[in-house]
Amino acid sequence: MNGQTSAPRWHGLALAAPALTVVGVFFIAPLAMSAVVAFRDKAGGFTLEHFSKAFDLYTTDLLFTLAIVLLSTVLIGVLAIAIAGYLTLGENPRAVALLRWLYRWPLFIPFVVAGQVMRTFLAKNGMLNHVLIGTGLIEPLSAQSLLDWRGIVVAFVWKQAPFVTLLLAGAMASLESQHIEAARNLGARRVRVLLDIVLPQVRGTLLVGLVLSFVTMLSVLSVPLMINPNSPTMVTVDVAYRINTFADYAVANALCLLSLLLAAGGAWFYLRHAASKAVT
Amino acid sequence: MKSHLIALVAALAFAGAAFAQTTLNVVTAGDQNMVDYVNNYLAPKFEAANPGVKVRAVGTGPGDSGSQKIYEKLSAQQKAGTADWDVDVAVIHQLASATMVNEKLLMPYRNDISTGKLVSRDTAKNALGANVDGYVMPMFHSQIVFAYNPELVKSPPRSFAELTDWVKKNPKQFGYNGVKGGMSGVGFVTGWVSAYSGIGDKLEKGPFDASSGPAIDKALAGLKDFNQYVVMTPGNAGTLDMLNRGEIAMGPVWVDMFYTWQADGRMSPKMKLALPSPGLPGQPMYYVIPAKAAHAQLAKKFIELAESPEVQADGIIKQFNWYPGIDPQYVQPKLDQTAWNKLFTDVSPQDLARYGRPFPLSPYFKEIVEGYERVVLK
Repeated sequence: MNGQTSAPRWHGLALAAPALTVVGVFFIAPLAMSAVVAFRDKAGGFTLEHFSKAFDLYTTDLLFTLAIVLLSTVLIGVLAIAIAGYLTLGENPRAVALLRWLYRWPLFIPFVVAGQVMRTFLAKNGMLNHVLIGTGLIEPLSAQSLLDWRGIVVAFVWKQAPFVTLLLAGAMASLESQHIEAARNLGARRVRVLLDIVLPQVRGTLLVGLVLSFVTMLSVLSVPLMINPNSPTMVTVDVAYRINTFADYAVANALCLLSLLLAAGGAWFYLRHAASKAVT
Repeated sequence: MKSHLIALVAALAFAGAAFAQTTLNVVTAGDQNMVDYVNNYLAPKFEAANPGVKVRAVGTGPGDSGSQKIYEKLSAQQKAGTADWDVDVAVIHQLASATMVNEKLLMPYRNDISTGKLVSRDTAKNALGANVDGYVMPMFHSQIVFAYNPELVKSPPRSFAELTDWVKKNPKQFGYNGVKGGMSGVGFVTGWVSAYSGIGDKLEKGPFDASSGPAIDKALAGLKDFNQYVVMTPGNAGTLDMLNRGEIAMGPVWVDMFYTWQADGRMSPKMKLALPSPGLPGQPMYYVIPAKAAHAQLAKKFIELAESPEVQADGIIKQFNWYPGIDPQYVQPKLDQTAWNKLFTDVSPQDLARYGRPFPLSPYFKEIVEGYERVVLK
């Protein structure tokens, strides 16, 4: 113990240097360059024109992005609690085993594939509507395409819910079972046990999983591009469009900084939770 | 034993060198199918006719950015004062060709090759307003057209005005992919602006006039109204998909994609095409020779072969469903009737000549697509 503390300071720095260099060169520097380009006019002076253009053309898309991602996050949370809850408290071992086996599949499917699958699944004459019409649940004339904001939300929830469930089910499995058993003995129903006993104890894990999903979904380009690249759409599509069509890196960078602000909101939650955990 | 081996290897290497002394470097923008076309189709033909020559094709990626990479490479060699540039033949888009002719990166060659006089379309002389006469040969033309389902649409609209009436009578039956989902949607938008701004000719021929903004915005305001009656599709392929599934009855598509999908069985063979007045845009890709290409003579022979009626008939039309780069009248005798009919039944060569328009000049182009975001989407 003593030997470690008396080692020169630069040992620690040297150990951290490779990681710091990678972060500095591949993350901090491009971020700084992106910020500089977003604020620089043609002559090299400071300007806010790119931001005013970004707000002028893309305010709807910014709000749309935030709304889509928030809604998806909420739905992911509900779904993850339901699945993880059943895995922990379910009484039919076969159903639990089947669910445990099934729910992880989307984890191994890339976003772009999820987008492609949804594109044929949710179309007006796609598989979902065929099934609904075939089973008599809807009339053929009332079938509609879900390839708009709803398609994006479905793809996000389908892809990200298993990730949060995985974290949550792990946290729930490591809880002391006495609390649950005590509550059950006193006659509490399973939903009650889940919401009042289990969930409060794994709240931190749930929050972390949701924040990570929130930030991931903010940055996905493939899903909105494949399902709904038309207005309103997500900011990632606009960024790609500014670069590919206009070679306009300035407005693209302004949009990137704005979505960074949204992500920073998530990061703030995450850090606050991580910090409070470190203290306790 | 070892020395024998070395001698053998050396002998083989020399033999190889003797057979393939020259490598013709062909650099092409566009999708992988362009590289495949050169490597699998053109190269064997050219190598058979020219013993000792090896053709090597490299792709630089789709879209104008692919052409931009070729421009940057040649420009760097020009600035470095290199005597022999390492690109012999390049295949590029219109936008880049204008820049490259302007910066003296290309050599004029059309009058040096026998197939040079077979071209007839304006695109051989004019690339988005820039004079490229003599420097380029169109490898092929592709064209945006309306694809429609004849079971739902008995007589397709013959003009943009008829289309506007048609969508009001048949709401949500026309679909296109906006400006962010690929060029078939962008082409529809520029075609709309050409039709309704009253400055269609100026958009294509120039000169650029910044005061045209209000005319463009007015046309786009009409498009905003039109959009209430249409479906937005997810991308070039999205329009074809929705048409094939019967979710829309009509939409703008690239003609080569349409035929390729039909040939692959991904599109119902019943679907048909129409080209409305005053037209929709299309674009060629050009064969060019860099000003200091190391093997300029061979490059000319290569393009001569690639523009021959036989190659245009069999390679460009039959295998890739593009429209020929040279005048169709020279290609027709080399094609069987079925292949000719397939390409020209719905859209006749005359319609193509009349209504196949270029894209607007690049400053207008930018103004139109950005105007779309400002006027139509907000």
